[in-house]
Amino acid sequence: MSESHSNLLQQYSSERESAQNTAELEALRVKYLGKKGEITEQLKGLGKLPPDERKAVGAEINRIKNEISESLEKAMREMALKEQETKLQAERPDHSLPGLFNRPGTLHPVDQVAREIADIFLAMGFFMAEGPEIEDEYYNFEALNVPSHHPAREMQDTFFLESGQVLRTQTSPVQIRTMETLQPPLKMIGLGKVFRRDSDITHSPMFHQMEGLVVGENISMSDLKGTLIMFVENMFGKRAYRFRPSYFPFTEPSAEMDIQCIFCEGKGCKVCKSTGWMEVLGCGMVNPRVFEAVKYDTEKYTGFAFGMGIERMAMLRYGINDIRLLFNSDIRFLRQF
Amino acid sequence: MKILLSWLKDYIDIKETPERIADALNMAGLEVEAIIQPGKHLKNVVVGKIISRDPHPDADKLSLCRVDVNRGEPLQIVCGASNMKAGDKVPVAMLGAKLPSGFEISKAKIRGVESSGMMCSKKELGISEEHGGLYILPEATPLGEDIVKALGMDEVIFEISITPNRGDALSHLGIARELSAIFNLPLHREPLGDDDGNGKVSDEIKVEIANETLCQRYGARVVKGVNVGPSPDWLKDRLEKVGIRSINNVVDVTNYIMMDIGHPMHAFDLNLISGKKIIVRPAHSDEKLKTLDDQVRTLDSSMLVIADAEHPIALAGVMGGAESSVSDKTTDILLEAASFQPVSIRKTAKRLAMMSESSYRFERGTNIDNIPIALNEAARLLKEIACGNPVKGIFDAYPKQEILKQIRVRTRRVNKLIGINLTPAQIETYLLRLKLEARREGEDLIVSVPPYRHDIELEADLIEEVARMYGYNNIPETLPAITSVLKLPTPLQKLENRVKQHMVSLGFNQIISYSFIPSNIDEAFREKKPLLLKNPLSEDQSAMRTSLKWGMYDALRRNILNDEFNLKFFEMGRVFHPATGEMSEEHSRICLGFSGSFNNFDWRRSAEPFDLFTVKGIIQNIGELFGFRFKFAQGVCSVLHPAMQMEVSCEKTVVGQFGQLHPNFLDNRKMPKNIFIAELDLGLLAKKTVAINRMVPIPELPAIRRDLALMVPATANHRDISKIIADEAKTLLEGHYLFDIYQGKGIAEGCRSMAYSLTFRDPQKTLTDEQIQPIIDKIVNRLDKDLGVKLR
Ligand SMILES: [Zn+2]
Repeated sequence: MSESHSNLLQQYSSERESAQNTAELEALRVKYLGKKGEITEQLKGLGKLPPDERKAVGAEINRIKNEISESLEKAMREMALKEQETKLQAERPDHSLPGLFNRPGTLHPVDQVAREIADIFLAMGFFMAEGPEIEDEYYNFEALNVPSHHPAREMQDTFFLESGQVLRTQTSPVQIRTMETLQPPLKMIGLGKVFRRDSDITHSPMFHQMEGLVVGENISMSDLKGTLIMFVENMFGKRAYRFRPSYFPFTEPSAEMDIQCIFCEGKGCKVCKSTGWMEVLGCGMVNPRVFEAVKYDTEKYTGFAFGMGIERMAMLRYGINDIRLLFNSDIRFLRQF
Repeated sequence: MKILLSWLKDYIDIKETPERIADALNMAGLEVEAIIQPGKHLKNVVVGKIISRDPHPDADKLSLCRVDVNRGEPLQIVCGASNMKAGDKVPVAMLGAKLPSGFEISKAKIRGVESSGMMCSKKELGISEEHGGLYILPEATPLGEDIVKALGMDEVIFEISITPNRGDALSHLGIARELSAIFNLPLHREPLGDDDGNGKVSDEIKVEIANETLCQRYGARVVKGVNVGPSPDWLKDRLEKVGIRSINNVVDVTNYIMMDIGHPMHAFDLNLISGKKIIVRPAHSDEKLKTLDDQVRTLDSSMLVIADAEHPIALAGVMGGAESSVSDKTTDILLEAASFQPVSIRKTAKRLAMMSESSYRFERGTNIDNIPIALNEAARLLKEIACGNPVKGIFDAYPKQEILKQIRVRTRRVNKLIGINLTPAQIETYLLRLKLEARREGEDLIVSVPPYRHDIELEADLIEEVARMYGYNNIPETLPAITSVLKLPTPLQKLENRVKQHMVSLGFNQIISYSFIPSNIDEAFREKKPLLLKNPLSEDQSAMRTSLKWGMYDALRRNILNDEFNLKFFEMGRVFHPATGEMSEEHSRICLGFSGSFNNFDWRRSAEPFDLFTVKGIIQNIGELFGFRFKFAQGVCSVLHPAMQMEVSCEKTVVGQFGQLHPNFLDNRKMPKNIFIAELDLGLLAKKTVAINRMVPIPELPAIRRDLALMVPATANHRDISKIIADEAKTLLEGHYLFDIYQGKGIAEGCRSMAYSLTFRDPQKTLTDEQIQPIIDKIVNRLDKDLGVKLR
């Protein structure tokens, strides 16, 4: 390449590198490739050369022209992208501003815990049954083997209506109503409000219970244990448990299930009264008298039932120290869950 | 119930620790709520005797004592108290002793004088709250004895909660019997008393049972020449520790027998019984009896009384009469031990609201065989501690001998119900430990139930006994091998769950308010006459809610008083209406409550306070989401503002209403005006059929959009305009909506400018403006003619 051509290329290169924006690149294009540009001028001057040189020089100038043209195009594209990026970046708002959205509400903690418990049993093949909250004494007591004037009635202080009906003291009447309409095999849970004449920081005259019932052929106490252990492990995680004999008129044998305290891991604390155990539910094998009340064959069928207080579970789970907070509808409390 | 370990040891040689015993009782179904050990934290404190007391050489207020603790050389102790003198016996905490406060005694120099121990006050021993100087012990306290023993603080007291079925466990004998079964130890105490004595009981008293159903057995014994006075210390001490106040030796003996073997007793002053006769009979109506608590009770024929020849002298099994009771002047005693029907006792005690230790036990069932034992034991004790002379024999009225229950237990059934595999012999062994004797009949066992186990009536009850002895925690763990019948959630359950979740997404907080309302609630909040509670806890909770609006109103109000103004609440629950035949109906409802504004966390747009249309929008949103075709009309709910409310109906059934709270219920200054409440009946909605939409092809041809700006006089409304647009445009109108309302500058007074957007489309061919214009003209003409609405 001739010295002058090589200088031209060198000059172009340095000018392109110092170009700051697309406008300056455009000026370069005009300077070299425009109608009066340096390359164009040189092409025009070809005619002045001797013919034997003309071809070679012409080819060289064209090669330089292409080189500059391609290089400029590339630089132009890159420069345009860079300029767009700068422009877009300038649109950046204060990202730390909060989003504009409709804040979600909250489900009541009792509802949340009830759903969680129900979901475990539903996954285990139970179905959900319901019953009235105002019950006949028959369903709340007699059919559940609690005759009138039985001391067991003292276990649940009852609200009576003027009509002689009662506010159900337990969800167990749901068992009776279910068995009256369905034949075994069945696995049901019942959930709902129950009422007892009792009011302090751990007792509310209205609270919620979850009730369960399994009836079939050859249902045994070992099935009761296996089922409830599966529930407890899914609800509270794997931990020590125990079954203690207890008394409920509608089950025989009856038991209470304790789990290792979730607060002190069994070491003993205020919540578990230093025993290391927490009572979570009552359960037992359905008393044959209950089956008689619903006309089930007591020889053919056996079953187990269990029940637990939802508020107690919610209080344990969320560290709520006064049951009345649950029913005060205080937004400062509700929005925490 | 309080049970003393030392008392249990009268029956059983148990060597286990108190903790182990408590644990075993718990695991047998007798819940130990607490173990009380008064002396547990008191170690190395002994009885000492002050030999000399001199002033401290360097401190006026301190004394220097030499104290003999019966362990070689007397101790030198510096003491700050001043109520002691040489010769006094005092508790001495020796070196290394630990006091209940946690304080440990070590050798100390007090103002230059060595002190090797500490003399203690009652407070320092943890017996009393008051200081009151050193505890000066009685002269007779044995020197050098451990203070825990000397003061009887070595007792272990179990606080046990007994379930209502286990009346047999309400005594030391009962608990000992359980422990004997659990630990497989023999029960060794035999009854000590006998029916020996002078004379003949039938010369002193005759007993007649008038109602054999209510009283199965009545035993009477007479003890003469009794010195009524205070009980000896051991008796007082045992009673006090189980929580029974000592009265006098006679009453104490009857209480002692009750706590010992579980049979309630009563003692009468024999000389105050008229006609030497006891008649167990129902009371005559309006008969009066002054009971031991000095209350005059009016009786009726459902109550069983113990009467003499003239009148009642006790309320059977519940409480004695005041007039025949034992007093200082009493010398001759009639002891009663009887068996009464539990239901009758319970009814009487409830009717008169007088539950006693005695009625509590009779309600739960006593041991009819214990009657002679109780009487003979009591007579023996009265002879021993009150110089009494028992009269020979028991007047035992026992018309119909009780037959022991025989219950068959099948080995197969035991194993099936528990899920284990025992042999008949193993079952027999477990039952025998509980004194349940059985006879074998092949694989079956025929069990004779002792008269005190009233809880055992069925085979299942005996299976529970086997399971208890086997240990619940030894039972294997399996899962039920059944597949339940399928029962899907009801439409109502599904609706409730979905609506709940939807409300949370819309930003509502769920509340649960009480199902109770005050019975004197404002008339406006009574949708129906509320059902009243017969035994409410308070006036505020004396009736059942008839709608959810009261609870919602109360929740909004109380939050506003706490300066929480932006509220979006929902509650889902049942309301209770009276129904035919005194019965009740339950309806599942949802209630929404609104206060403040919708977009309170919005920094760009200014807050939009709730108004009738934001609330209507939420209701419409629910309707569209769940496919309910809601219609709205003027509402008439008296809780709501008369003009700012609407009634919601669905397929011609009214399903609820919403609106602004009536200004009359803005009962404090903090409450803003724009509080809204909505209520919908989910039970009614769940019954509505939701149509399943069939697909319509997506249009291929373009639509034409036209806007109409209308000048609307006050007499016309949106519904009428909308109807005319739809009527006139017929099938070519794909849809139309209101997009603007304007009032003010440029619009005549009382008029509104309303702008509608109309979309026309023909699925068959492309529409042209020329086809649309005549339709628009027809709409405009009709609007003008019918409603006076003009194009702007
Ligand atoms: Zn704990």
